Amino acid sequence: MTNHQQRAPEAMIYQICLRGQLDQTWSEWFAGLEIVALANGDTLLVGVIPDQAALYGLIKKVRDLGMPLISLMPLHSTTSPFNSNPNEH
Amino acid sequence: MPIPILATKLHLPQPRPNGVARPHLIARFEAAQHCGLRLISAPAGFGKSSLLSEWQANTQQQVAWLALDEGDNEPSRFFSYLIHAIQTIVPTLGVAALRLIQTQPNAIEQALISLINELSGRNETINLVLDDYHVIENHALDQALSFLLEHLPAELRLIIATREDPNLPLARLRARGQLHELRSADLRFSLAEAQQFLNNAMHLELSGAEVAALEARTEGWIAGLQLAGLSMQHQTDRPSFIASFTGSHHFVMDYLLEEVLQHQPPAIQQFLLHSSILNRMCGSLCDALLPNNERTGQSTLEYLEQANMFIVALDHERRWYRYHHLFGELLRQRLQRSLAQQTTPSLEALHIRASNWFEHNELEIEAFEHAAAANAIERAERLIEGKRVPLQFQGALLPIMYWLQGLPTSVFNQHPSLWVTAASVWLATGQVNGIEQRLQAAEQALATHEQGPKEQDLIGRIAAIRGTLALSQNDANAIIAQSERALAYLALDNLSFRTSTVWKLGYAYQLQDQRNAAKQAYEQAINIGQRSGNLVTVLLASIGLGNLQESDNRLTLAAATYQQVLSACSQLGLPAANCGAELGLARIYYQSNQLDLAEQHYQRALQAAQLLQHTDREVACQVVKARLLIAQGQLEQASLLLEQAQIAAQQHRHSTQPAKIAAEQVRIHLLRGQIQAAQQLAQNHNLAISQAQVYLAQQQPSAALAVLKPALEQAQANGWHDHQLWLSSIQCLGLAALGEHGQALQMLTKMLLHAEAKGFVRLFLDHGSAMQNLLASINPQSAQAAYRDFLLSQFAHENPKQLYPAAPSLLDLLSQREREVLELIAQGHSNQAICQQLHLALDTVKGHNRRIFEKLQVQRRTEAVARARELGLLSQ
Repeated sequence: MTNHQQRAPEAMIYQICLRGQLDQTWSEWFAGLEIVALANGDTLLVGVIPDQAALYGLIKKVRDLGMPLISLMPLHSTTSPFNSNPNEH
Repeated sequence: MPIPILATKLHLPQPRPNGVARPHLIARFEAAQHCGLRLISAPAGFGKSSLLSEWQANTQQQVAWLALDEGDNEPSRFFSYLIHAIQTIVPTLGVAALRLIQTQPNAIEQALISLINELSGRNETINLVLDDYHVIENHALDQALSFLLEHLPAELRLIIATREDPNLPLARLRARGQLHELRSADLRFSLAEAQQFLNNAMHLELSGAEVAALEARTEGWIAGLQLAGLSMQHQTDRPSFIASFTGSHHFVMDYLLEEVLQHQPPAIQQFLLHSSILNRMCGSLCDALLPNNERTGQSTLEYLEQANMFIVALDHERRWYRYHHLFGELLRQRLQRSLAQQTTPSLEALHIRASNWFEHNELEIEAFEHAAAANAIERAERLIEGKRVPLQFQGALLPIMYWLQGLPTSVFNQHPSLWVTAASVWLATGQVNGIEQRLQAAEQALATHEQGPKEQDLIGRIAAIRGTLALSQNDANAIIAQSERALAYLALDNLSFRTSTVWKLGYAYQLQDQRNAAKQAYEQAINIGQRSGNLVTVLLASIGLGNLQESDNRLTLAAATYQQVLSACSQLGLPAANCGAELGLARIYYQSNQLDLAEQHYQRALQAAQLLQHTDREVACQVVKARLLIAQGQLEQASLLLEQAQIAAQQHRHSTQPAKIAAEQVRIHLLRGQIQAAQQLAQNHNLAISQAQVYLAQQQPSAALAVLKPALEQAQANGWHDHQLWLSSIQCLGLAALGEHGQALQMLTKMLLHAEAKGFVRLFLDHGSAMQNLLASINPQSAQAAYRDFLLSQFAHENPKQLYPAAPSLLDLLSQREREVLELIAQGHSNQAICQQLHLALDTVKGHNRRIFEKLQVQRRTEAVARARELGLLSQ
């Protein structure tokens, strides 16, 4: 999922905020999303999510870890500093 | 097809020996037992299953348990498990519903109605727990469960434990007071519970402030507190551990698991990580997975259980275990990470080890799932075929479809057999569209491969699947062509495909009325099918044989064949065979004029037919019902039913039923005196029997006989015994109408001999009064008198029916002079006396006698008198 050279039309960059911190080793588990630790102890998962099915898959993973989900937000700009995929620029 | 049931999914989980008792929650839960649905909805690790296992161990109520997993999104599998769970309480409940579901996955609602009816009126209530309902994503299942809740009898209460609110009409249930909920706020450990758990259950002897700090940090999240307790068991400096943990922002579970793992010996660490790929595990499976571990699997599992390491015993014998889902998830994440750092064993290798063990222990579905997880294409494909029955028929349809859908086209092209597997899996779901494209893709991929025995077999399979597609269109020529090709290419030991292919050949020959060829094929299919355990094909072929026995007029034998099929169906289900057998019995009882029994079998046939999609079986049932209605004189209803049947038959483009429908409609027209309409129909459908009937009604017996002659010759030449019998019965009537009484009676006598032996009754009754008259003309002294009398007594119970005008009676056939002679004979006069009285020569009188005897079919004067008296030919 991480190496989509061409983004599918429904692909979007999302930012998912979770309560509690995770280290970078969780990136692969979360489909290669960038893991960003926030100063308040929350975690952002940021990256291109190819479609709605993949988004729900991710939310399910969060659910199954028992991590509280705080917010979920699409980022429209492809020049987001959090963009995990260099091919997108 | 019966779905194998893993008993561990149905076992009541045992409460932890040193868990924290939660009497206030148990009391609330018990108090809500009147609610149709009790919902425990909270994220992972909130102690949902633990609470339920504590409750079930303490309640007086009957509890059934079903632990769900992703594969249960297939409705037939879900409800098979659901009914099996109920059967752990009452083994006899839901047998009919289960059979329905396993044979006809579309009949969920009907099966639920049957289950609800069975539950209603029992005195005991069953509490059914559906654990881990969040894995259910299939909307059809939510709907089915909503239906069940909507019609829930007082004898069944549902309890759902889930990580997310289910897609059920919760608001409506809440409004009606039918829903009781326990949510995360209710489930969090209170400070007192946290204290009890850490100090009593985990023996940690923490201060009140320390417990409060941990409780605050984990927010009463039970899994977090348990991991914290586990970490601290090995900490020498607890205060600094608590300080760093409570000061950390790290995700509680991630932080604590790291702590716990690091304090375990390497063998245990490795065990935990590697075994995390298993959804359930036992000692010997773990040994296979970790061949070099210094501890045995069984002792490790016991150690983990004693150490409170998030392991759940799945049975009383403590043989099967699983990790707490959340713990397992975290372990798998770590396994992935640690495997990335080392080369052996790979994740794939671990899955292959597991797959091997499951295959060895004949747990085929789990063997397949691990092969698929290992991406071991050939292995997964081989396992899909199953040892006896392909896995898609054993409840693994979804895992197989998910796996196939996830494979790129290039993999399919490298393994052409995957295209064929996909085609047969999709065919198993009843989808006809897209099958041919997959077969063509297989052929294209095959063209680039070397041709070995495996490829030959594949060509055979492709043809066999095309044969099945042709079968759904009743296209006999295509079925035969594809099946013959299949048999030429299929491997000799591919008995599963060979058996069903031979059956398809039989079906095609039967469509073409090539009865001997059909019989041979069916017998062969039964033979191979019995040897290879392919019971489904054996039953379908037996139905075919029963049909052929019916057409051979061997009704008793056919009835026995159908009864055999039914007794096998009672274990196996299979509505197609069930419908065929019930319908055959309905026809046979109709023929023997046991109309009540015929009606009963018709009803059962119709029930089975309604479960079958894309077939004309329901129409075939309606034709039998129309015959019953006509026999009972309900022409209006019969006519309406046949109109409906005609429309339905036209929708199923390839039905063989329209001619049968027309034949019954012709009879109705004749009974109503609508000869013109009858003539039109008989002509349109080119039905010899119906045309002859119309001619009889039009009083054109010569024309009737002219139609019958070639048809009879053809029937004789082909050995079509059923046609012969029907055509002969009309021929008798034609001859009688023509005044050929002697010939007609001779033929009818011959038919009676045959009909009595084979049990035909309606064959005569359905011709109405014309046949009644002709039967009455048969000499009561003749060898067939008993059967003639029996038939006449059956006529007496019928509503009088006239399809064709009665043939001239014997009274009309005797001349005035012959009647005078007969009167005098009856009065006891000698020939000489008659000569004198009538002024005739002796030779003339003897000539009259001879013709009278001939017409009355007798040899002597005394017989003639008795016969004449019986026929009412005498004036006194």
